[in-house]
Amino acid sequence: MKTVEKEIGAILTGTISSITQRSIFNRLGGLASTPIQQLTASDRATIMQELENSVKLFARSNSAQLIASCARALNSGTGSGGTATATATAAAQVPMTPKKMPIDQEKDIATARLEAWSEAVRIGLSKFASVKVATAVSELARNIVFYAGKGTVELRSVKDERGTLGLQIIASDQGPGIPQSKLDEIWAGTYKSQRGMGKGLVAVKKLVDDFQLDTRPGVGTTVTCVFKGER
Amino acid sequence: MEQELPIIQIRNCLLVSIQSELHDRLALDLQASLMDRVRTVSARGVILDVSAVEIIDSYITRILNDIGKSVRFMGAECYIVGIRPAVAMTLIEMGVELDSVNTALNLDLALERLELLQ
Repeated sequence: MKTVEKEIGAILTGTISSITQRSIFNRLGGLASTPIQQLTASDRATIMQELENSVKLFARSNSAQLIASCARALNSGTGSGGTATATATAAAQVPMTPKKMPIDQEKDIATARLEAWSEAVRIGLSKFASVKVATAVSELARNIVFYAGKGTVELRSVKDERGTLGLQIIASDQGPGIPQSKLDEIWAGTYKSQRGMGKGLVAVKKLVDDFQLDTRPGVGTTVTCVFKGER
Repeated sequence: MEQELPIIQIRNCLLVSIQSELHDRLALDLQASLMDRVRTVSARGVILDVSAVEIIDSYITRILNDIGKSVRFMGAECYIVGIRPAVAMTLIEMGVELDSVNTALNLDLALERLELLQ
């Protein structure tokens, strides 16, 4: 009895890195460890939707072929009717429901940026802009893990004055906050961190279209930033 | 997750393909074992293939620069190969520099520059 993870993993290997595969299966939750024969029709549809989104994002070539192989593999079980089919992609410019992710440990950084990446693509940002979104989330989540220990990253879609969808990122923690003296060094580019480059916040500020920092020593830090959609 | 990145030797050159998330300990282990291997095999170059890495942020950049610096201290050259276009553009926009390593488009070109290929 082969599980979804085993069967699909074998197909994706070589095209999609093992880190990305792990994140895809994490998003599928319990479905990933379900034997293929026990899948219901709606399970298959859920899996295919997720695979289509991820494979298009990460496979540099032959994504259609890969998706077709995955569909074939899922149908190979004798399960209860209904077959997995590759559906048309979700239309661009679809608003999302806000998503709040806990950031407690290093592995949450990878999960958060992958989530941000696929949401960015889903709401219609370009492939390049989506990489910027994922990088910014990576920086912010890393700051939370390194300096505050834990916190959250929230993603929301926002409309600009012309009605184009963009993505808002809110990274929030109840950590030690950043004292004014350190902030001055950070913005001046002279801050040296033990673990990183000390340039994470500056880097994020340069990447995004709108940046707000609210930090209070002893209370915590919240960074709110927006990537606007292109026209 | 106990793991160590495999280091492959091609003539007097060391190759590492980065396929997993580089976290603190893994990066330090890699740096240490690379320096060790550079010394024992008298390597002329170290090549880090990042073509499977989808996102490079300032922290990963720092790790790559640190490895580059330490390899250079040992008298070898470090090449980063396979940086994706979107990753390169993002690094430029962030104002983050990869200044302690050399870069090459792919493995072949890095080997060529290290004069391992004609």
